[in-house]
Amino acid sequence: MGFLDNTSITVDAILTKKGRELLARGDGSFNITKFALADDEVDYNLWDTAHPNGSNYYGAVIENMPILEAFTDQNQVMRYKLITLSKTTNRMPILNLSLQNTDLTYGGAEVPIIAASTDSGDETFTFELNDTDVSYLVGYENGAEKWSSTLQQTQDDEKTAAVVTTGEVRLRAKQLRTAKSARLTVTGNQTGVTKSITVTTLADPNA
Amino acid sequence: MAINETFKTLEPNIDTVSDRTTVSSGLFSAGAGSLTAFYSSSNQGASSASYLNVYDKAQTESTREVQFAIGYASYGGSGSIGNTTKTTAGNRETAGMYRQFANVLLPPGTDKFQFTNFASASEDFYFVVMNRARMREKMDPGNWELRIAAQAGGKDMKFIDDSGATTTPTVNQAGRVFNVVSGSISSGTADVKRTAAAGGALGNFYPDLGIIILDAAHLQVTGSITTTRSPNTFDNTNAQWFKAISTGSYFAARREEEITSTMYFCRATNQEFNFSNNPTFATKSGDTEGVFTQTTFEGDPKTYISQVGLYNDTNELLAVAKLSKPVLKSFSREAVIKVKLDF
Repeated sequence: MGFLDNTSITVDAILTKKGRELLARGDGSFNITKFALADDEVDYNLWDTAHPNGSNYYGAVIENMPILEAFTDQNQVMRYKLITLSKTTNRMPILNLSLQNTDLTYGGAEVPIIAASTDSGDETFTFELNDTDVSYLVGYENGAEKWSSTLQQTQDDEKTAAVVTTGEVRLRAKQLRTAKSARLTVTGNQTGVTKSITVTTLADPNA
Repeated sequence: MAINETFKTLEPNIDTVSDRTTVSSGLFSAGAGSLTAFYSSSNQGASSASYLNVYDKAQTESTREVQFAIGYASYGGSGSIGNTTKTTAGNRETAGMYRQFANVLLPPGTDKFQFTNFASASEDFYFVVMNRARMREKMDPGNWELRIAAQAGGKDMKFIDDSGATTTPTVNQAGRVFNVVSGSISSGTADVKRTAAAGGALGNFYPDLGIIILDAAHLQVTGSITTTRSPNTFDNTNAQWFKAISTGSYFAARREEEITSTMYFCRATNQEFNFSNNPTFATKSGDTEGVFTQTTFEGDPKTYISQVGLYNDTNELLAVAKLSKPVLKSFSREAVIKVKLDF
């Protein structure tokens, strides 16, 4: 005789900075309509198929790991989302970027970055630059600059990040006295697949 | 939920439930339900008749916090310097206090307080005003007791409100109003020694504002608080009022807060969320990019849920919850996670 495992778990949520901002706005933009699950803290290399106690213990290390409390910075949580795929899937979707780490020059040509994922041809992407002092982030659609409200979604309070939702962006260097780097993170809005590159704007001698 | 998706829609009224609950807790610092020692500030009240802040700890303690303020208010300005004929310069703090309380607590057109079962209006009163940070939203009626020690010849008093005996409290512009009566709640329920109908109310209690006022004349008659309150004179009445509370050594109170909670039932069925974008779940570079790092995951993938994110239509993360331990998810397991969000 034992007790049944209760699979319903109750957890308390905290508002992110974005959530607080939208709630304070009071214009109805704080409207939760969907959820996602993530496993940022988990290292699947700890899945131990050689565990002496057998298959029920393969994940013992992971399952007994206490987890850090949630952060309010929406960029530091929910980074690695769980995804629904067919059971026969034997390879995860891959995000391909047309460019890797890159240097930008003030006054030089815009640098295009095109994202595509292997599993979803019509997927849109969120490009997030964590420091907008480094570069402009311009949304493109079908090869043309587009700044519709659906493409440029948000620019956060501290103006340290720019988010553009589209399949292509172009980077335009800002004029800087000293070289500076920023992290450009690209996330598939459907599959959650993500990749980051470093963008560096070189110092402009005329600045 | 479609294949290749990371977001799942929450169905209104099925996956989302809102609830409003009233939470009560101890009113004083760190959620303490009562105070037995009271401290004032040495540099306050020595020359002004306006009010005194009361702290939970001595002045030498850096963590002390204001718990409530006390003071004395007089319609005619007794106990403070200044007079109506302008012959004496003074701020008439006690008169200012009386008018302020009257404006805030009484209906328009009423300039004096009149307590239950008294024929005439009250000319002066002592007040206790709870610190807003301590009180948060409101005081909990029927769950406070203030004791004062009488001066020589008088009798000690225990004050409570009569909310337990009142099913329809008076409601005016200051919200609900209850009579302050003598009695105690130390037994767990209100034990009223003398009702307002029998002996007259000793004052008024405004739970929505966290204000208690006590009729000075009535307390003078009972000998509980015999302060000096002379016209055009700074009598430091507040210090005498503080001494009565301080030597009474007991003030218990609770606060009430209404919390709106929304529960989101995040259901992961057996077919959903069985793959992960975690960089350790699949190889991230080279020719094998995308291949599972654990070969046993082919045909029987396993993931762990450690975070739940709540999003709006434009995929903005509004709230996040973390599980205390990762929960295993696979094609043979389902999970329901109830996420509670308080406002």
